[in-house]
Amino acid sequence: MSEISKRAVAGVGVLVLLALPFYATGFWLQSGLFAMAAVIGAIGLSLLTGTTGQLSLGHAFFLAVGAYGYVWLSGPAGAADGLTGLGLPPLLAFGLAVALTGLAGGLLSPIAGRLRGMYLGVATLALVFIGQHVMLNAHTVTGGYNGRSVPPMDLFGFALADASPQGLLVLGVPFGGLERLWYFGLALVALALLTARNLLRGRPGRALGAVRDSEVAAAVMGVPVARYRSAAFVVSCLYAGAGGALLALVFRRVVPETFGLVLSIDYLAMIVIGGLGSVGGAAAAAVLVTLLPQVLTGYADDLPLLARAGSGAAGPTPGEAARYLYGAAIVLVLTLAPQGLAGLTRRRPRKTLQEHTP
Amino acid sequence: MTKFAETVLNGLALGSVYALIALGFVVIFKASGVMNFAHGSILLLGGWTVTATHQAVGFPLAVLCGALAAGAAAGLLHALAARGLRGAEAPVLTILTIGVDLLLVTALNARIGPDFLSTGDPWGDAVARFGGVAVTQSRLAGIVVSVLLIGGVFALFRWSRWGLSMRAAAADQEAAALMGIRLHRVRLAAWCLAGALAAVAAVFLAAFPAPGLDRTTGQIALAAFPAAILGGMDSAVGALAGSLVIGLSSALAAGYQEQLSGLGTGLADVAPYLVMVLVLLVRPNGLFGSKELSRV
Amino acid sequence: MTAAAAELRVDGVTVRFAGLTALDEVSFTVAPGSIHALIGPNGAGKSTCFNVLSGVYRATEGSVHYDGRELTGLAPHRIAGIGVARTFQNIVLTAGTVADNLMLGRHGLTTAGFASTALRLPKAVREQRRHRERAYEIADFLGIAAHFEQPVGPLSYGDRKRVEIARALCMEPRLLLLDEPVAGMNPTERLAMAATIAAVRAELGISILIVEHDMGMVMRLADAVTVLDFGRRIADGTPESVQRDPAVIAAYLGQQQEQQKEESA
Ligand SMILES: Nc1ncnc2c1ncn2[C@@H]1O[C@H](COP(=O)(O)OP(=O)(O)OP(=O)(O)O)[C@@H](O)[C@H]1O
Ligand SMILES: [Mg+2]
Repeated sequence: MSEISKRAVAGVGVLVLLALPFYATGFWLQSGLFAMAAVIGAIGLSLLTGTTGQLSLGHAFFLAVGAYGYVWLSGPAGAADGLTGLGLPPLLAFGLAVALTGLAGGLLSPIAGRLRGMYLGVATLALVFIGQHVMLNAHTVTGGYNGRSVPPMDLFGFALADASPQGLLVLGVPFGGLERLWYFGLALVALALLTARNLLRGRPGRALGAVRDSEVAAAVMGVPVARYRSAAFVVSCLYAGAGGALLALVFRRVVPETFGLVLSIDYLAMIVIGGLGSVGGAAAAAVLVTLLPQVLTGYADDLPLLARAGSGAAGPTPGEAARYLYGAAIVLVLTLAPQGLAGLTRRRPRKTLQEHTP
Repeated sequence: MTKFAETVLNGLALGSVYALIALGFVVIFKASGVMNFAHGSILLLGGWTVTATHQAVGFPLAVLCGALAAGAAAGLLHALAARGLRGAEAPVLTILTIGVDLLLVTALNARIGPDFLSTGDPWGDAVARFGGVAVTQSRLAGIVVSVLLIGGVFALFRWSRWGLSMRAAAADQEAAALMGIRLHRVRLAAWCLAGALAAVAAVFLAAFPAPGLDRTTGQIALAAFPAAILGGMDSAVGALAGSLVIGLSSALAAGYQEQLSGLGTGLADVAPYLVMVLVLLVRPNGLFGSKELSRV
Repeated sequence: MTAAAAELRVDGVTVRFAGLTALDEVSFTVAPGSIHALIGPNGAGKSTCFNVLSGVYRATEGSVHYDGRELTGLAPHRIAGIGVARTFQNIVLTAGTVADNLMLGRHGLTTAGFASTALRLPKAVREQRRHRERAYEIADFLGIAAHFEQPVGPLSYGDRKRVEIARALCMEPRLLLLDEPVAGMNPTERLAMAATIAAVRAELGISILIVEHDMGMVMRLADAVTVLDFGRRIADGTPESVQRDPAVIAAYLGQQQEQQKEESA
């Protein structure tokens, strides 16, 4: 695609996204917000695994830190159910939750910095399980197995959640919290995309890419490899924190089950389907991977081979069908089109540059 | 004291079954440099094949069928990975195995449904006693079979042509290829062997006191990850040591959960990972793993 | 822009890998502003020596000093910071365009961090623009300016070798280590590259340590030559004296006979 037509497509896309709350139902707004949270989280993982080449299976853990961090920081203190919280204003709590996730990444990065390849992959896998254990057991913070409810976002006195019926009408459309949360989410996505793109085009992005392609060459060029590997971890966690906190706001209740290994794998699927190393591709694939099950659920009756979840009928349920589809997508992308979605818009194939070392 | 002895014995039993899985990880890693995340679903496939065939052909033949099915599946996966191997880095291939896992596990879950399936094993719920120490026969059988199989694998490594080729290839791929070793076949054999071992592990994971094979049985393979990693990904001895450490620590965490309740409930599930992280803190390449050297 | 070239002193450097002594008490000195050749048959330890100089390998024994500072034990990025740049025998470029690779060479000379880059603060934008201009000049100097915005993947072998040298020069080094810069090039390309290397020294006044198998080129370019064989220094001196050295002739004779065998095969 030429630069101009790309811009045009992007412009139309932005207009559609801005107008969507006036037309879409709550179900689709909710689904869209899930997708936005996934886009932000996937950008983070893309920077870590795609750009820097550090395999992480622990992304769900950092999303959880963001989600629970927001809930705890904004949650009321000393509620009757024994839950603690700081009761901070939601926007402040959101920012601090992001910082908290970055801090978690920073604390773990010295360990991560020592580990390479598969050792890092499995060590991050450990984070998911250890995280689950903490979420299930730290009752006063997380609410344990049943989780806890999420205080709604609140911007300048407007509550950004569904529970504010006292009607604000915009152009005759009732503008509830969900609609307003939509714009908050859009702003976050825009910020995440822009900052990630800037990073990749600038000095830090080049250094991270060099670390992926050859740690030795990067070091010889003056890049402090260990420091950049740690930094990639922290930056990736900042995005995960924002994605997790947004996810919490959309769910309106956080439970440990959400943040299991499956979620980590979903995110890996996103960055692979999007094309490793491409932020735009990861974002597009994040939308695809989150919306696919929703679309399949929404239209289960109209699609031939699908059974409704729990109906006992033959044929895969929508959830299963979605997993088949993106399991297959991972396999096909990696074996046939390693560029992923990003390859669709790129003219020239990008070769791997690692020469064979003797 | 009997409780301690029982717990340790359970830990050894668990560890020896983990060892079958962890050894598979190591063999595949040595052959192809890939961490096979589809191992859990291959294990499940092997176990499910046993449950599906034992009534028709009897238990021993059913286990053989399971081993063949799982070995074949692993071999196919190798063929797929080998396609991707041309130029791709190991993390990418690892993600490929995750994709295959998604497909296989979804397909198997749809077959297995919410039930517990019997593998038709001959041990049932029988318990053997040594003095005051009670241990289920299935666990004893697990230990014995694992020891035999693992001994067999080590003998293969040591004395067979395949073992020699494997070691040569792991030491220096190019030299091995020059010496006329057909890397593709050596690798294929490694994957098939790993798959077959996983199927045997599935039988013991589904045996008493577990209620049978169900859709979560494959996830137990995840606990063998820490075992393989903490021993060192490229060391078969490490896989054994790691498996015993992991088996013992899970069994102890489960057996003494009242005493350990300060650390939260369900500690047995995370114990393998906690132990692994602690080991990696001190030895980033595991207990017996060799350090990767980058050459330029 | 950069401080003046200084002396590189290699003192009794020994490198052992499991069971193999790749370098055995090797000593030599590279005079400031000179072109110094490091030669020797295959497996003599030349690349290993470069790896020690650039901090990639750690010497088992011995020391390396540059400008009075000890390099042995320093991390590679610190050595880069002191002004030592290198190329690799097997081209190691990163994915992206020629410009991306050259800008990587400017890493140590620039300061933009994560926050200022992510937010495109004016300071970071200005810095990037300024250093890009310099990178373009260097690309021009090496004759690859036409490819500046192109991905490096599809470039010819010779051009990629040039990108590597340009990337090293982008570090504004005081000592440049070139590992077989003309290997795999045709005679015309070789001549052009030799002229470029001479020009680099003439215009930038830096020291160059070069590993090369092409004896003609070594004799034409080098002010001094050190010869390694099986990890040992077997000769050291001016090109003429080294060329006449019986030990060198013996070491190379063995190799040439092998090469002839290969060629006739
Ligand atoms: N990381 C390493 N581990 C083990 N041995 C190594 C390593 N690096 C180099 N060697 C060995 O050290 C010896 C010297 O190698 P080196 O690459 O320095 O030779 P060279 O002089 O550059 O040869 P060539 O002309 O072929 O490039 C060789 O025998 C090589 O196999
Ligand atoms: Mg060399």
